[in-house]
Amino acid sequence: MSIRPPNINPDKTHFYRCLRRVEQDVLRMGSLVEESFRLSHQCLFDRNIDAGKKITALDKQIDKYYHQIEIDCGTLITLQSPVAQELRMLTAFMQLVRDLERIGDYAKDLAEIAVKLFPYPPHPSMGEIAAMSQHAQLMLATSLVALTELDAKSGQAIKQLDDTVDDAYEQLYQAFAYQQNIRGVLEPILLLVLVIRHLERMADHATNIGQRVFYIVTGIR
Amino acid sequence: MTRWIAFILGLTIGIAIYFWKENQKNSKIKKLLSSFSPNFDRVDSLPITSLVRREFTYVYEQRQQLEKELAILQDLLFFAPIAYLQVDEENQLLWCNEQAKQLLKIDRWQPGKQRLLLELVRSYEIDQLIEETRRTQEKQIKEWVFYITETQKTRSLALKGFSYPLPAKQVGIFLENRQPLVELIRARDQTFSDLAHELKTPLTAIALVAEALQNRLQNPELGWVTKMLQQTQRLSNLVKDWLEISKLNENPTQHLHYQSLELQELILASWETLQPIAQQKEITLTYSGVAPISLEADRDRLTQVFLNLFDNSIKHSLPQEVINIEVQVNIKEIIINIIDSGKGFSEPDLPHVFERLYRGDPSRTRLAANFSQHGSGLGLAIVKQIINAHNGSITAKNHPATGGAWLQIILPHKEQN
Repeated sequence: MSIRPPNINPDKTHFYRCLRRVEQDVLRMGSLVEESFRLSHQCLFDRNIDAGKKITALDKQIDKYYHQIEIDCGTLITLQSPVAQELRMLTAFMQLVRDLERIGDYAKDLAEIAVKLFPYPPHPSMGEIAAMSQHAQLMLATSLVALTELDAKSGQAIKQLDDTVDDAYEQLYQAFAYQQNIRGVLEPILLLVLVIRHLERMADHATNIGQRVFYIVTGIR
Repeated sequence: MTRWIAFILGLTIGIAIYFWKENQKNSKIKKLLSSFSPNFDRVDSLPITSLVRREFTYVYEQRQQLEKELAILQDLLFFAPIAYLQVDEENQLLWCNEQAKQLLKIDRWQPGKQRLLLELVRSYEIDQLIEETRRTQEKQIKEWVFYITETQKTRSLALKGFSYPLPAKQVGIFLENRQPLVELIRARDQTFSDLAHELKTPLTAIALVAEALQNRLQNPELGWVTKMLQQTQRLSNLVKDWLEISKLNENPTQHLHYQSLELQELILASWETLQPIAQQKEITLTYSGVAPISLEADRDRLTQVFLNLFDNSIKHSLPQEVINIEVQVNIKEIIINIIDSGKGFSEPDLPHVFERLYRGDPSRTRLAANFSQHGSGLGLAIVKQIINAHNGSITAKNHPATGGAWLQIILPHKEQN
């Protein structure tokens, strides 16, 4: 993130150091969330159940970062009374970590669904769902890059990427909802509907992160 | 007159003090110079200013020399075929070489610009490696898979990182790209299964012909053909096993047919099959555990697991020994311990026993190969693949009490509602 301490004000260097530390924690949390998303993908589509166990451990860490960052941001805002972009950054961080945390939670849910899906034969639309998941992961990666670069334009551009996921969601939903001559139990279909729902929500949260980056840079909501 | 004497006396004393002081100063400087550089030669004849100047020139030359060496080393590091990066106290990237840029896709960084490493490479593993190194102040080695999310798919990169603590809380990291190795291993396995596949049909044909011949021949030809048939059978089994492993490895779950079964019954039935061999050595089986345990699994595959394990245990047990089966159940998992009183695994073999075609002690397995069909070195590999496909795990160790092999299988357990 490109905010650099202005050399004129030496009193502020401590503040900038703290800000860097928070930034770094946000990025760490981001990479953990990315990792859990990736693991949930492996869990669902490569039938790698071991990945699910790792997600549970990751989720705990993510939660720890989430609380830590919230507290740190609060402390910095009250003690250092930042203004303008720094203030926007800290407030945006506080909301952004919630988005990240939500994505992590959904990843965990996906892993749980994967375990339930395990005994059933793979559904024919698994490929499309995998593509959807891949796209949502790309969105998360893009939003994190936008955050590190404080790039308002690419932050905003994630909205367009979200359309693809929304379309995929709609299409898959129709496919599941109007499927006929289903043999056997309904569980796999229900689970898959939940999967696409979760993926769609994850993509939304990634879009939110992009929006927050836009806000940090421009101050416009 | 006395005034003159006083004046001259004063002057003399003054001059004496001056020379004394001057001398003291010079010797101090010389001492200083000689303490600085070991090859300072005391040429007292030279004036002190020349000595100092000479020393300065010498130091300056030395510095230039060192700078040149540093530049060469840096150049070498820059063009090294292994990725290197260095971060400062606050985890900002100070420097990285060309290889690191390519490997980690660090394209948003210009030298001299302060950026957090995490901003450029979103890898929690590298970050943790750095933190760990800084905390312990010891070099660390770690292996992990680094992922790069792209539009179509996620690219994975197997990396091995070596980190070194540097002064001022900096950390230097070498990264080795192990992806080619991983791909080679995959290619090798693929080639082997392709080959096995190609061998399957001709081998079956040979076996059939040999069988047909067996009925029409007399000794000594009959003996030869019987021997040929045995060896063909062995080869054919090896190929079959290999294909089985490959299939399970690629698609662990699709080849399983889940059904409800009772564990104790399955274990005892497997033992029953091996009874003839066991009886030869008078080996007995004891089963302890809560009854009955029902689980969802592939019956044939699980039977194969126990057949392979029992076969191994019987092979490596001395006559009249006992093989123990202990089954424990908790809410989440079923734990099956298979313990024999044989020689156990040799310590260096332990990490490798589940690898394909791994043979511990060559002499022992060769003997075993003649004894039964499963001496191929694939038995335990198959067991592991099957257990993994069932979402379970298997570990091999030596039992502290009996000294024999101790295989522990853990299978997931769903509580019946």
